[in-house]
Amino acid sequence: MLRRDFVRAVVSIGFAPRLLLSQQTANPAPPPPAPVPWTLGLNPKTPLPHTEVVDGIAETERRFFTPVQMAVLVRLCDVLLPPIGDKPGALQAETPLFLDFLIGSSPASRKKVYTGGLNWLDSESQKRYKKPFAKLDTMQADAILKPLLRTWMSDHPPTEPHADFINIAHDDIRTATVNSKAWSDVPSGDAQASTEAGLYWSPIEPDIYAGSSDRTRIPARVIAAPKGTHSIPAYPR
Amino acid sequence: MTNETFDVLIIGSGHAGGMAAKVLTESGIRCLMLNAGPVADVARNAQHKPAYELPYRGFKPPGRLEHVFQASEFNANVWVDEQEVPYTFDAANPYNWVRVRLFGGRSLFWSRQSFRLSDYEFKGKSHDGFGEDWPISHADLSPYYSRVEDIFQVSGAMDGPPQMPDGNFILDEDPWSESMQRFMAAGKSFNMPVCKQRRALGRDGLASSVNLLLPDAENTGKLTSIANAVVRELTVDKNTGQPNGCHFVDRLSRREMRVKARVVVLAAGTLESTRLLLNSRVGNSSGLVGRYLMDQIYGSGVTCSVPEARNGKATKELMGGGAIVPRFRNITTKSDAFLRGYALNVTSSIGPVHPRNFATYGAELQQKLEEYHGSSFHMTIMGEVLGRYENHVRINKDKVDAWGIPVLHVETKYTDNEYNMAKDAVEVGSAVAEAAGFEVLSKNIAPNPPGYSIHEVGTCRMGNDPKHSVLNKWCQSHDHKNLFVVDGASFTSAGWQNPTMTILALSMRASEYLAGEMSKQNI
Repeated sequence: MLRRDFVRAVVSIGFAPRLLLSQQTANPAPPPPAPVPWTLGLNPKTPLPHTEVVDGIAETERRFFTPVQMAVLVRLCDVLLPPIGDKPGALQAETPLFLDFLIGSSPASRKKVYTGGLNWLDSESQKRYKKPFAKLDTMQADAILKPLLRTWMSDHPPTEPHADFINIAHDDIRTATVNSKAWSDVPSGDAQASTEAGLYWSPIEPDIYAGSSDRTRIPARVIAAPKGTHSIPAYPR
Repeated sequence: MTNETFDVLIIGSGHAGGMAAKVLTESGIRCLMLNAGPVADVARNAQHKPAYELPYRGFKPPGRLEHVFQASEFNANVWVDEQEVPYTFDAANPYNWVRVRLFGGRSLFWSRQSFRLSDYEFKGKSHDGFGEDWPISHADLSPYYSRVEDIFQVSGAMDGPPQMPDGNFILDEDPWSESMQRFMAAGKSFNMPVCKQRRALGRDGLASSVNLLLPDAENTGKLTSIANAVVRELTVDKNTGQPNGCHFVDRLSRREMRVKARVVVLAAGTLESTRLLLNSRVGNSSGLVGRYLMDQIYGSGVTCSVPEARNGKATKELMGGGAIVPRFRNITTKSDAFLRGYALNVTSSIGPVHPRNFATYGAELQQKLEEYHGSSFHMTIMGEVLGRYENHVRINKDKVDAWGIPVLHVETKYTDNEYNMAKDAVEVGSAVAEAAGFEVLSKNIAPNPPGYSIHEVGTCRMGNDPKHSVLNKWCQSHDHKNLFVVDGASFTSAGWQNPTMTILALSMRASEYLAGEMSKQNI
């Protein structure tokens, strides 16, 4: 590089912070010559893009339940939590597909409760009414479901076969629906559940090397290419 | 090379460590405090959000924190991750080990219930023949309890029976609601005292080491604190055999470090302090480090409805307020079914009744919720778990945490004593509720798994005999006079009471003793 170019570059870098700060005044100075030090830019005055939650805009794709299980779950959701007054029901809150995502991400024991329960509901429906659960009318569905409902306290759902699934699923369907955007968009009356809201804690100084409990080594750093093979591109000035 | 040797190394920054830091630095002693996790800053790390903005709509993230029943999606990132710091147990006997490694530990999130142990706990063996007496009595700890109650601004009423000693309270003179008065009257035939709750009000909404203890220590200029320091093991002087510091690893960078100190104070929480002693092979001439793990049974209870408060008729005069029913079993009479006893947390609420209390759904459920809104009255148990030698923790050499430190294996289970106690609590609670004219909606007899209460104590119990205890009455190791364990590990029995006030009082007393011994150059 010619000496005058070098001097010009040094002078520019020296003035860069002042020039960038001047962007915040009424008549900002023109931007400095490229390249701008990349760590400067985002600042407390930077406008934040406005984003929406995905529910109601994009559809969740079914990944876990089989088509038959999904059809049973949809019918179950509609029976256990239909729309009441102005409040949406579980279907309007997209609860069945949300549960497909939640249960599909869950440990095997929880998956088993759901798949076993949904399969049983369908086979019970076939046994009693010679048709799939998804096609039962409300009275028929009530006849299967109501005898299995129990009262219970936190952390102690019923353990008897089939009653466990029905009561756990009812609780989950209510939670998923009440905590949906669709539910929240309609004001709740005194005795209607409100969408849960509170202080959400982000990960605090997360340990990015944490993984399996046996990992004790720091992963190898990426090594830069050796100098000799790296060619510096030329930019016209 | 750093040659600095601190006067005292304090491992842990919760209630126990915070109190030790405050007392020791205020006595002019230079302390180094190590904490395994980072500082939590609510302004930077937390934000108010509705559940639908979270990935799992408020459900606990799948597969995470399976043994922390208290976790939700909102708070999942404050608890210790079970994959990062695992522990093992037999699948037939699960254990819920609930931990916080943020600066301040679990003192950031505790329930604030503040009770003293009584001599029914300190001298339990003298009362009923089981276990061991503590080497101290309520009279020994009372002056410290009073000072702790002042620091933590404990509110309560002077209405405690002998098994729940009164303290230095901000007096709670709120009137009882009518539903509570009915419950109290019905409880008389069961000899059941019903008293005002006792809660630490703290300051500015928080009653924690970080706002009530550490600032005082920092103001002395004698406290140096390091965050993200995961202690691997204590180091021992080759010549004297005494602990003289520790090795630790930086939580994030994995850099291995060491520090030196004349005295070591363990305050990492009952099981972490014990894990450290076991991994360091220090202080265990009795063979009892890890033994007599105790906590309290939680989870059993009764939910009721007050009929007069239904259908929109709930008022603040009829509903509202909380009470504590301190242990009333095995005080003046003897139960055939169990030793010791339990307390009941009683709550009358003008809010909603949970849908789980109605075996129905859809429009019928909504009708019930509207009818019963404002009529909730419920009670839950806090029961003493007996200290048994076989309930213990040990090191599992086959498994390590994310920093290569061997983990704990927990082997503990409840026995008939605890199960019978839970059954009695639900039976009596239901009977009193019905006698008061309430409708019982649901009950649960089965306690939550051991550890759920987050009140694990014992495993380094104190006693006068070095063959039958790990620590003396000052929380000082029988084996090493420069080693103290000031958290819940020192408990000789669990009691039914939340352990926080006792942990704070014991830490204050032990630290003042230590400061005195150091000033006399005995340590």
